[in-house]
Amino acid sequence: MPHIGDKQPVSQPVSEPVPRPVSLGTVTLTVNGEVHELIVEPQWTLQYVLHDKLGLIGTKEFCGEGACGACTVILEGRPVLSCLMLAIECDGKNIETIEGIARANHPLIEAYIKHSCMQCGFCTPGFVVTAKALLDRNPDPSIEEIKEAMVGNLCRCGTYPAHIRAIEEAAAILRGVLVAQGGEGRD
Amino acid sequence: MTDEKQRSDERLWAEEKQRMLESFDNKVADRYPLKEFHNIGRRGVRRTDGYEKATGAARYTLDVQLPGMLYGRFLTSPYPHARIVSLDTSAAEALPGVRTIIRWDDPEMDVEVPLAGHELNSIRPLSNIAHWQGEEVGAFVCADSEEIAEQALKLLKVEWEQRPFVLDVEKALEPGAPLSNPEYNPDGNLAPNDIYVEGHGDPEKGFAEADKILEFKFTFGQNTWVGPERPCGVWRWNGEYAEVWVKQQRPHIAKRAISQWFGGIPMNKIDLHCLYQGASFGGWSQMGWNLGGMYCAAVAAKRTGRPVKWLFSRREDFYGGEMDAGVFYLKVGCKLDGTITAVEERGVVVNQAMPVFGIAKHFIDNTRVPHVRGRTEAVWVNRGPNVPTRCEQNLNCYSLCWVTNRVADALGLDPIEVALKNDGAEGHDIEWLNARKAELGFPVRDSLRECIAAGKAAIGWDQKWHPPGTKRLPNGRMHGMAFTWTHEWDDSAGSSEVGIYIERNDGTCTILGCRADGGQNAETTYCQIAADELGYPVEMVRFKHMDDAGFFTMTPDTSTNLSVNGWAVRHAARLLKQRILEAAVAPRGVTQLTSFPPAFPGKRPEELDIKDAVIFEKANPENRMSVADFVGPSGAQGPIVSPIGEPILAGREGLGYPMRLTPPTFDFAWHVQRGTYLGLRLRFCRQAHFMEVEVDPETGEVEVTRVVTVNDVGKVINWEGCEGQAYGGAYMGVGRGRTEEVVWDPRTGIMLNGNLLNYKIPTLMDIGEIQTVLLETGMGYGPYGAVGIGEDVATVLPALIGPAVHNALGVWIDRYPVTPDVVLAALGKA
Repeated sequence: MPHIGDKQPVSQPVSEPVPRPVSLGTVTLTVNGEVHELIVEPQWTLQYVLHDKLGLIGTKEFCGEGACGACTVILEGRPVLSCLMLAIECDGKNIETIEGIARANHPLIEAYIKHSCMQCGFCTPGFVVTAKALLDRNPDPSIEEIKEAMVGNLCRCGTYPAHIRAIEEAAAILRGVLVAQGGEGRD
Repeated sequence: MTDEKQRSDERLWAEEKQRMLESFDNKVADRYPLKEFHNIGRRGVRRTDGYEKATGAARYTLDVQLPGMLYGRFLTSPYPHARIVSLDTSAAEALPGVRTIIRWDDPEMDVEVPLAGHELNSIRPLSNIAHWQGEEVGAFVCADSEEIAEQALKLLKVEWEQRPFVLDVEKALEPGAPLSNPEYNPDGNLAPNDIYVEGHGDPEKGFAEADKILEFKFTFGQNTWVGPERPCGVWRWNGEYAEVWVKQQRPHIAKRAISQWFGGIPMNKIDLHCLYQGASFGGWSQMGWNLGGMYCAAVAAKRTGRPVKWLFSRREDFYGGEMDAGVFYLKVGCKLDGTITAVEERGVVVNQAMPVFGIAKHFIDNTRVPHVRGRTEAVWVNRGPNVPTRCEQNLNCYSLCWVTNRVADALGLDPIEVALKNDGAEGHDIEWLNARKAELGFPVRDSLRECIAAGKAAIGWDQKWHPPGTKRLPNGRMHGMAFTWTHEWDDSAGSSEVGIYIERNDGTCTILGCRADGGQNAETTYCQIAADELGYPVEMVRFKHMDDAGFFTMTPDTSTNLSVNGWAVRHAARLLKQRILEAAVAPRGVTQLTSFPPAFPGKRPEELDIKDAVIFEKANPENRMSVADFVGPSGAQGPIVSPIGEPILAGREGLGYPMRLTPPTFDFAWHVQRGTYLGLRLRFCRQAHFMEVEVDPETGEVEVTRVVTVNDVGKVINWEGCEGQAYGGAYMGVGRGRTEEVVWDPRTGIMLNGNLLNYKIPTLMDIGEIQTVLLETGMGYGPYGAVGIGEDVATVLPALIGPAVHNALGVWIDRYPVTPDVVLAALGKA
């Protein structure tokens, strides 16, 4: 039986005070086409800077360690997990977030609404960003290719089947083989 | 108004209110359904939250940032059972950016306060004793950033007194076992009020009548909710007013608790915001402690004069769990034809932090089995609290699944035959239940038979099902199929209040209620109901969450969103429509100066109707006026007077001057539902689920290749919402049954996998294919004959993997989740 019978008070090892980071860095991030000059601490993640400093709240933190895809952004054309990138590494880089994709009226947005791809919605922006990066590089993905691209995005509500339908539809609209239906709420 | 008209109006109002009262505590079928549906049950109704959520614009509590806001984090226990002997906070307080540290022994923390949960119970918001590793204990550190708060936690000098601990429920029952929580129960690890017994008949008699008696055992590992948004909340004092942001499934109960803090805060001095929630499926919202962070934030905000956001880390979210963990012993008697004569079950379950729930209820609610006895022993060990997590009926569903499939296996029968043989309620057969359906005004349909027919066809049961362990696939794996069933539910006792009104200018309709969104698309559903009841296009109706928990709309607990709120919205819309039609025939703009003729002079309300947001005379549809024209513009300043002293008229009769001539069109309604737990309502709708697996007998790996879910939801209001709950629930169910388990180190009592890398929730590729089938028999107690669906599939499905693996291999696994080592152990290979 697991049992620690020692009732004597024991001291927890105490670590020494951690010095506050001193080496601040200036970075220039181009986010959704807008240039931001920022002073960042070296340990700040890109997700933290986008969400907390630039107010781009669509870049969500779910797992915080690269396991879920909720914080996905497109960095120089590639989908990356912004919780695993340090902002200081991104100096001079182009970054596209969900807000930029929405502003561009990407057909994924309306397809996601139509196919009810969201439930609680917390992970949804990360899915849209990952899907957008997929369609940028592969305008006509097969279902297997969609699954392979999206498998790193976790949805606890289990909305997965709807995403495949929405991504196929958005791809068809982008290729011009399907006409987009008018949406509301773009304000 | 003539006397006759007044009598007519009063009669109509009285009738509608009588209808509303009739459906309280509803035990009968919906007596006043609509004759035709336009938006209810229509596919493709656009989600009202879709654009916000798809574009990242939806705001969650975790997103809230306020000027000057501090971030608060808790000290957590490194040991599974320990007491803080002393705490030195000086080094942490010296860290730049740390603004205050709340200690358990601070004078303002020497209180017991209600901290919400399912109901209110008063406890200390911060203790110095931890009963599990990871428990929030002793100190709450507030700093300029979360990062500084985390650093400060490492600087706390804590002297701990470690106590003996126990993790395993059965070991916790052994004589001399360490006491897991001597503060709660000094006499043992099983308190008398943590035993729940239920049943009917006499199981011994049932066993004596049986041709065959089976005894078996299974265990279920600990799974948890993994809410994507970390638990958090924000408190700001605006002078004497409290402004609060809660991630809370039950915001109205949270507000009730908060109103009792600090000597009492009047309800109308609390502004409580409940934004979208990164779902928690019940989760922390149900804990008695769930507002502990909120309380500490409130105290810290008072001390510092700054808003405070408290947060859990991702790992801290993992310490609470679902209440299906435990060990289960079953004894079943059956006849050779599959008729079950008795079921006796004992479950030893883990840390049920809410009133202990039964495990054999579905044999009572859902079968003809005449002799049933269930006994739940909720043992306390040194792990976190467990609460209903989509939902508390898991164990009932697992029991029914195991009994159905074990009996079928023992008798060489198809499990579907066993289900159909035993379907019924309260010890009576299906004929008895059918008679009750008729008495209560429901259609008399055999829901289980219809579910099974649909599911068998979808999965190809008759072509593919085979005796256990007999079908090897070309890839070398063994093929298995399984089936389970139970009833549908919307269980919660709950109440709902909503307001509804017509906006000036454009005549759009607003439903006012309290948001408690978990993603079920409930708000769109309310709009569909209001639209059809009012005669509106659904696009003109919006559910507006009050920026406060004001109208206490029922929360998504226990699949009860629609079955309670649907009634309230429907009542409100009907009353509002009545109010509009009554106003349409009454004189308008009655002031001291003048009044104006009715919009529909000489008509009675019942001669009018509304369609597409236009009021019209039924006998003469050309006599019409849009609701927008009728209610007029906002902000008008009233009659102006002409140079000769006559009022200048407005609206249809006058000069088009924007003057308000109609009374505000506002109404409200409410609904009360008593819980089915109280034995008040028989359940008529059924669900049946089918699973296909491939099992590798060499590696023990189980692949779920296909799931067919069949839910008789009575009436579908929102197709996409219902289907989303079904296939979404399938993923969660398969995860719980196949990969998800929180693991503790037995030597140290430390949780080993509180993160998403090592606790495996399902991905897109974890189920081959899911087909969701919805049936509509109209046999639900909700409006239009609907029942809930939110929890069903996630709750019923986990156990089905066991029988599926049995059908593949011919051996029974005995524990969940069914990881490869469990399969290999069943095969005698591990």
